[in-house]
Amino acid sequence: MISVRDLHKTLGTQEVLRGIDLEIVKGETCVVLGRSGGGKSVLLKHFIGLLQPTSGQVLVDGEDIAGLPERKLGAVRKKVGMLFQSGALFDSMNVEQNLAFPLREIGIRDRKTIAERVHEALDMVDLLGAETKMPENLSGGMRKRVALARTIVSRPGCILYDEPTTGLDPITSDSINHLIRRLQRRLQVTSVVVTHDMHTAFHTADRIAFLHEGRVHFLGTVDELRASSDAAVQDFIQGRSGDCD
Amino acid sequence: MLTSIGRGALSFIRYLGELAMLAVDTVISVVVAPFRWRLLLRQIAEIGFHSQTVVIVTGMFTGAVLTAQTFFQFSKIGMSTAVGSVVSVALFRELGPTLTGLMVAGRAGASIAAEIGTMKVTEQIDALRALGVHPTDYLVVPRVLALLIAMPLLVMECVGMAILASYLVGTQVLGISGPYFMNNVIKYTGARDIKMALVKGLVFAVIIALVSCYEGLNAKEGAVGVGRAPTEAIVIASLSILIVNFFLSFALNMIFPAG
Repeated sequence: MISVRDLHKTLGTQEVLRGIDLEIVKGETCVVLGRSGGGKSVLLKHFIGLLQPTSGQVLVDGEDIAGLPERKLGAVRKKVGMLFQSGALFDSMNVEQNLAFPLREIGIRDRKTIAERVHEALDMVDLLGAETKMPENLSGGMRKRVALARTIVSRPGCILYDEPTTGLDPITSDSINHLIRRLQRRLQVTSVVVTHDMHTAFHTADRIAFLHEGRVHFLGTVDELRASSDAAVQDFIQGRSGDCD
Repeated sequence: MLTSIGRGALSFIRYLGELAMLAVDTVISVVVAPFRWRLLLRQIAEIGFHSQTVVIVTGMFTGAVLTAQTFFQFSKIGMSTAVGSVVSVALFRELGPTLTGLMVAGRAGASIAAEIGTMKVTEQIDALRALGVHPTDYLVVPRVLALLIAMPLLVMECVGMAILASYLVGTQVLGISGPYFMNNVIKYTGARDIKMALVKGLVFAVIIALVSCYEGLNAKEGAVGVGRAPTEAIVIASLSILIVNFFLSFALNMIFPAG
């Protein structure tokens, strides 16, 4: 579905990605793990063309989107939805309008169809009844759910999750993790989850890619990650910084 | 010293280049992207309708004080009835468009930069892009078109209110004859003056819209970045209006020479 080949990205003077090779298989949930500031979100934004690589290829359904002008990325972006770290709900619109927006953008005009699709998406994230609420009146967890509903309402083939549980309490984080898994089962979508939360990684992943020093340092299943003897992987799983008191 | 001058010049040229790129992108967007009537109407209301109070107050008090000052000078040489014509021509050709431009830059320009800047740092612009919507289509085009529609109307409203205030102060406070005042206004104010005001209004609309949208789209992360965007938008748009107005006055005076 999505693959990147020898992807390099330099931001300012810092080379954030130093030759990433990764293939996301259709229907799987691949978790990209790594330290904060390690380039996970930067990598994710390449999958949808929000960032352009310094060099390398980004293939979405076989089409290289690296270097494509903004106006030609529309078709790719309709196949791939993204849940942003902050939710990124449009604060001038209520929940219903936020969800109706992507539907109108893909050309659906019939009000009944839009209402049905909005209802269905809100039902999937357990937020029926929140249609008229404005984003500022929603809690952090609710915002993430509404943002997720907005992502799935247009039924993309792939969903990218950028730190879906960051800033949420453990209970809300767990409910988001279950939601990601449930959506994957119900919608059969390909998912890429960027996180540094081990609980999210273990709960949602079919495969895990561990990013370290700008490269994919480890790629394998959850069990393979747990069994890995690699020091960097184990330090990350155990949360060891190496600093002393 | 020379290095810093060179660096400043380069950054100024780069800024102009990026504004020009945004202008080109806006024109392309108008041609190729679907038209968003609702957004345009909302922006006309936001920018045009809600800017009326500040424009009317500015116009009326400027007209009144200009009338008083002109009267104080002209009455010394027995030309007090010519006050209306001088005030009217000055308002149409210079003060009306410039003051309206400055007021709209302060009110609407700041609001545009703050709104788009907030959208930028809260990832709403990335969300738009992720949903396949070009930010220029959705954010810039409606604002540019709304300003292009609203500014000439606001300029005329400003000048109209200024002349009304001028008439009231001139005839009711300063004792100028009403018929003489109006006769001179009509006699010395021509279509050329109205056209000049309209052209300036359109040019200032483009400056305010592009500068404000650019500052918003390029807002830096964090509260400081969002706070700086409207300030920069007001300062740059206001200075640009004053500088462009100087050159525009000479250029337009060749096309629409003063009567």
